[in-house]
Amino acid sequence: MILQGKRVDLPPEPVVHRRFEAHAEATPDAVAVFCAGRRMTYAELNAEANRFAYVLLARGHGRGAKVGICLDYSIDMLVAVLGTLKAGAAYVPLDPAYPAARLRLLLGQIPDLALIVASPATAPLVASSSAEVVDLGRLPGPSAGHPDTGPDVRVTGDDVCYAVFTSGSTGTPKLTAIRHEGWFNLLNWLTDEYGLHRGSHHLVVSAFGFDLSQRSLMAPLFCGATQHLMASRNVDVMMAYRMLTDHDIRVVHCASSTLYLLVDRETARGGDALARLDYLLFGGEPLKSERIADWAAREGTTCTLLHQYGVAECTDVATSYDLAGQRPGDGQAAPVGRPAYNTDILLLDEQLRGVAPGERGEICIAGTGVGAGYLNGSGPESERFTSVEVDGVPRRLYRTGDRGYVTEAGDLVVLGRIDAQVKIRGMRIDPADVERALGRLAGVREAAVVVAPAESGEAELTAFVVPEGDVLAEDEVREGLLRSLPRNMVPARFVGIAHIPLSPHGKVDRAALLDAIRSGPDSRGTAA
Amino acid sequence: MITDDVRAIWCRELRRDHIADDQNFFALGGQSLIMARIQGAFADELGVEVPMDRLFLNPTIASISAYIGSLDSMAPPHRT
Repeated sequence: MILQGKRVDLPPEPVVHRRFEAHAEATPDAVAVFCAGRRMTYAELNAEANRFAYVLLARGHGRGAKVGICLDYSIDMLVAVLGTLKAGAAYVPLDPAYPAARLRLLLGQIPDLALIVASPATAPLVASSSAEVVDLGRLPGPSAGHPDTGPDVRVTGDDVCYAVFTSGSTGTPKLTAIRHEGWFNLLNWLTDEYGLHRGSHHLVVSAFGFDLSQRSLMAPLFCGATQHLMASRNVDVMMAYRMLTDHDIRVVHCASSTLYLLVDRETARGGDALARLDYLLFGGEPLKSERIADWAAREGTTCTLLHQYGVAECTDVATSYDLAGQRPGDGQAAPVGRPAYNTDILLLDEQLRGVAPGERGEICIAGTGVGAGYLNGSGPESERFTSVEVDGVPRRLYRTGDRGYVTEAGDLVVLGRIDAQVKIRGMRIDPADVERALGRLAGVREAAVVVAPAESGEAELTAFVVPEGDVLAEDEVREGLLRSLPRNMVPARFVGIAHIPLSPHGKVDRAALLDAIRSGPDSRGTAA
Repeated sequence: MITDDVRAIWCRELRRDHIADDQNFFALGGQSLIMARIQGAFADELGVEVPMDRLFLNPTIASISAYIGSLDSMAPPHRT
């Protein structure tokens, strides 16, 4: 079973920042970005980005270099992103909402890290790195001898533009690299297919480290529109909602779980700013249609709701579905639709053979969006990038580990995971990553983490912990994890246990642990 | 008392009968969705909009109550 995306020619050099530069040339006085009462035009943002690109090049960090960006949402963030691309380098977003210990772990996984951009507020978080830390606010001014024009470093579509961290099954986060051609193709598809245009105002409501945030950050600059950034380290739905009305936002990019909160806010307060948007682009985790169904079916909801699916390894978005006011049936997953331009979805069985139409298979992605793999070494996940012969022609593809099928109408539906990986509030989490952090805490002898639905129906992590002493010091363990993991990765529940049950093969018996959760009358009791 | 109003909202959203002034939100099992609900409750019930960053910086009943108290004594930039 193959779903084929439309074939669309890309320019000879499909390089994302060239499109931004063309807008800076054509509409220099248009506002590129608003943040915290400040604004910057395309010409000004372009000049600032050029200035930073020269700083990188003067230090020898050009094509192929990796630049860490640990900044809160700000105009400087866009300057750092665009300047890095102009120098021919790739950026790695480092979320300042993460604990310093987690950032230290991530920084150690970036090969040949050239430099880190930080602000006075974020610099202490990355002080563990031996790489140089640069504050854009303290760079030499425009009079420092660099021309206003760009450095014109040659960049090809195959060069890496950014790399984001995803949770890994080995317990070590994987640094997944994306190519300019894939990113250009994605942004070009969003722009053309949905008519995103100049003069439109966009708002991003997601954490900087998320894969979907990279697309959301760049989409308005790619189509000549205006980007609005929330001056908030944490996703702030109330502030976001206020910005919708204060700034006449037309397009919002967010994770599904954030959309529920925006909808709740609008429903509770009786507003219609969300319902009257032009576009809402959301995804990053399975959609709970019932959370938005009533709101979406209201007469006043005229917004186009684009439910999107993809994986970080393949440039974030691979498919999109226009919900168009229809209510998915009870308990039915909302489709994620059809592939992006130059992208194919293949449904394969375990032997990597295509399944028959309507049958279930592993969702595999082929085409322009397939990324450059992992920058921090091989490991079992690398095997997900593979090659399969389709009609006698070898195709490079990525096995997502998601299961799905294609409806009679030709839309992809995602059913769930083949493995233990889970999305919690838009963040992809492998339980092994959490187990590793737990295992490092004093007071923890052994731990296993399983995924089970909470009362709300949303996925939740439960940690089974064999304590060093007789009793599990839950508060201490929780606080220890909060110092070493992003908040979304900290389990909701901790259960003390005498030993971790093993299967006959000697592996953690996750089914037995799930049974313990289901049968336990009190989640805080001792299981097994 | 602001502290009592805040405690009532925290206890409801965190589903606890008792929460001490200095107990940490996250150590009580709190996470961002619960914090977002608390933010909404502060707006709807106490009439004060507290940015999420402020809520995360003040993860105890004592500190967030003090913050809200300081808003009350100023010109109300975020009163709804």
